[in-house]
Amino acid sequence: MRTLVEVVARAGPGGRTVLPVVRASGQLAVRRTGPTTVHLVATAFGPLGGDDAEIRLVVEAGARLAVRTVAAAVVLPARGESPPSEQRVRAEVAGRLDLRPEPTVVTAGAHHRALLHALLDEDAELTATEQVQLGRTGEQPGRWTGTTRVERSGVPVLHTTVGLGPGAAAWLPPVAPRAYASTVHLGAAADRATAEDAVRLPLERGWVATAWGDRLTPTLARLAPLEGGAPLEEALP
Amino acid sequence: MTAALLTLADSRLPAGGHTHSGGVEQAIAAGLVLDPRSLEVFLRRRLTTSGRTAAGLAAAACRAAGRGGDRPAVLAALDAEADARTPAPALRQASRQQGRGLVRVGRRAWPSAVWDDLPAHPHHPVALGVAAAVPGLGPTEAAQAAAYLSITGPATAAQRLLAMDPITVATVTARLGSEVDDVARAAADPAPADALPADTDPLLDLLAELHADRGDRYFAS
Repeated sequence: MRTLVEVVARAGPGGRTVLPVVRASGQLAVRRTGPTTVHLVATAFGPLGGDDAEIRLVVEAGARLAVRTVAAAVVLPARGESPPSEQRVRAEVAGRLDLRPEPTVVTAGAHHRALLHALLDEDAELTATEQVQLGRTGEQPGRWTGTTRVERSGVPVLHTTVGLGPGAAAWLPPVAPRAYASTVHLGAAADRATAEDAVRLPLERGWVATAWGDRLTPTLARLAPLEGGAPLEEALP
Repeated sequence: MTAALLTLADSRLPAGGHTHSGGVEQAIAAGLVLDPRSLEVFLRRRLTTSGRTAAGLAAAACRAAGRGGDRPAVLAALDAEADARTPAPALRQASRQQGRGLVRVGRRAWPSAVWDDLPAHPHHPVALGVAAAVPGLGPTEAAQAAAYLSITGPATAAQRLLAMDPITVATVTARLGSEVDDVARAAADPAPADALPADTDPLLDLLAELHADRGDRYFAS
């Protein structure tokens, strides 16, 4: 199943943001839930192995956009030899984009690839979160591969690929986390910081904070103190 | 030509690599590396993340070194790609220190105008690509040197810190040989700069930053 979402946010009269393009096909629908907020709603189970989703976001200069999802995405394997599912977020940002989907749960036998490719203008701001849990309660972990690439004015500021789960080359005991959370922010700088199984690294006018562990809730609790600098776009009016 | 590859990978090459443990010193402090078995796991982890990324960058820099007039711009762009793939400040510094050390010895060992086209304080994989190209090595060999060095430096550091049996440590690195070749071969495939390998291990980032805060360390990283 192929899914395509397109949202364009444009500066409107009186400093408001208008959304001249809101389009979705496949397994996701888009609902405008606030002045600058859209929620992605899954219209089917999944993603399933082999599913392919692309989410194109354009935030023009002076515009703001917050993107949320209504529920965790539960990635399920296809029947038989399951190919990976893939979700690509391609963002062009001149204004401010705040992308905070609910967690991704990768069930046993599934492999999910997540890609965030963000092209930022000189004055753009970006906050993007990724929250992953491998396996439901009592279940074997699935596999997740996440790539984040952020460019500002054509210069790469962050490009990393993290592989988690059985079969990922560097997912090796004793440090083989089943929960992973990472937030990247471009806009305001922050220093490096370390904590238990959590680290924040400075970027040019920004930072990336990552935490890992067995379960997502405590992992998020350890990440939160490192995320202090990330301004939260109001999800509701 | 093969002799040049052996020279590049030789721990006796005075490029400054011996002052870096590649995260092993902090991994030992954290109890993650304590015997040959856990060392092998750590080395495999490093090979398939920062080793693979370094191999891709070294191969690309080797290709760029063979180009014409836009060589400085292409090498600078690869250096920016290396920066984006190395967000941990301690690892950035370690990479640039080792890059500078390699340029210093490489410039004397294999004089060439290509060295002048590198940015100031280049990342190690980018300098390594040039150091491979100048004596006539190809991208795959540049990637092999990068992948191999990603485990041999940490292996030697572990041997010294844990007073491990040198034969055992040599056995561990020899056993990883075919994986080193596999990583290098795959990473050397031509790719646009924004599609080069970017494999990373947040654990290595955390260990590097914890290590940088210590006052009692033997190794620079």
